[in-house]
Amino acid sequence: MSRYALFLGCTTPTKVPQYELASRWVCKYFGIDLVDIEEFGCCGINQVNLSIEAGLLMAASNLALAEDKRLDILTLCAACTGALAEAIEKLKDKPTKDRVNEKLREVNLEYKGSVKVRHISRVLYEDIGVEKIKKEVKKDLSGLRIAPHYGCHYLKPKSAFEGFEEPDNPKTLHQLISATGAHSIEYETFNLCCGGKVFPVSRDLVHSLVQKKLDDIAGKEIDAMVLQCQTCYLMYSDQQEEINKEYGKQYNFPVILYPQLLGLALDADPVKDLGFKLHTVSVDTVLEKIV
Amino acid sequence: MNKVKKILEIKQSVSSSELGPDFKSEVLTHPDARGLNVCFSCGTCSAGCPIHEVFPEYNPKKLAKMVRLGMKKQVLRSPYIWYCATCHNCEQRCPQNVKFFNILNVLKNMAAKEGYAPAAWVDQTRQVIKTGIVFPTEKSWIKKREELSLPSLKEEHPKLKRIIESTCIDKIKPRADSV
Repeated sequence: MSRYALFLGCTTPTKVPQYELASRWVCKYFGIDLVDIEEFGCCGINQVNLSIEAGLLMAASNLALAEDKRLDILTLCAACTGALAEAIEKLKDKPTKDRVNEKLREVNLEYKGSVKVRHISRVLYEDIGVEKIKKEVKKDLSGLRIAPHYGCHYLKPKSAFEGFEEPDNPKTLHQLISATGAHSIEYETFNLCCGGKVFPVSRDLVHSLVQKKLDDIAGKEIDAMVLQCQTCYLMYSDQQEEINKEYGKQYNFPVILYPQLLGLALDADPVKDLGFKLHTVSVDTVLEKIV
Repeated sequence: MNKVKKILEIKQSVSSSELGPDFKSEVLTHPDARGLNVCFSCGTCSAGCPIHEVFPEYNPKKLAKMVRLGMKKQVLRSPYIWYCATCHNCEQRCPQNVKFFNILNVLKNMAAKEGYAPAAWVDQTRQVIKTGIVFPTEKSWIKKREELSLPSLKEEHPKLKRIIESTCIDKIKPRADSV
């Protein structure tokens, strides 16, 4: 049984708990043991805006907390994954590591450099594998046409992920979707950023980006978008209503998170185990197609 | 968006007396800005930038050039340096391996010190000091977590607070014309 420290980040546990719920269910199903570390805090990704050093220290303190428990980290948020993985890259430089540890020691922490950070999708892909997932599928999802959306920080910068993916031509989410029996559909804007990291500064920019993707998907007979980051989820799902109000549009497109899709294939309870009732855009049209 | 454009437009013509020859050197002293010297303005960064596509005024190639020309005031006061969506396309595709995302962070840090950080980021940092996450504690999500039988979250993070305060970013003031 594999064991990881579960890094929830800020947004999943507070605004998108259905992602956490489904992730815990799926991990339990496959025997992935998740350990909660109460002291984990924000990964620091947004703090680099004001201070690169503060962002690095925040990431390093979280890494040190997992190391202290001799655990690698499993993330849900793509951005946390990127921030923590980038910090590991930076901390390979000894003077940087020494400088950071000097500060960490003040709060009884030390970053040694042994911890690894992987996103839940990568853990499912590498530890469980597409073939094993296929064998476990209990429900028929073949009626579903799914648009995959990877999330920028799941892929980039490539150097932080040991070349796990080709950022301009990624494959893991496509394969993970296909493993459930659903159809993974190609579309032009699949690699377009959700804009989530600029949302606090400009909603307008986000609305422009989100509409580009939703307009591309419309008319391709796609049942849902499947994502692997709660910030992308909030942009594509919750912002639909805002866009409808502000721009007089009528978007009503189901958006779900990968562990929820996998949970459906494994016959988890859509409400109790996967939190589908918490979605702002109804996913009933998706659930109706599952037999 | 148009309002923002009008108020904060980067001036098209610049007098040479406004240029600070030391600005580029100042930026380059930060290890994260390494690479700026080898940029030959091919524009691959701007071509692959999703923000540039929907809002052409945000232009990585132009910003890099402005730094090299020493346009300190125009760069640090510009609202556009805060418009990056952090998608990393620019650095991923740069033929010179320039990490524009990192250079931009150096510029944002400098701008923040001079009082030009948007209130959104200043407020968020102050929030992290209080709760350890970027949001205040809300009864609604505590209740929701209880209903879903999810573990409760720690509401204070003294270690993280101390670490953040050691960098003094909690002292940064937001820009007056914050958008």
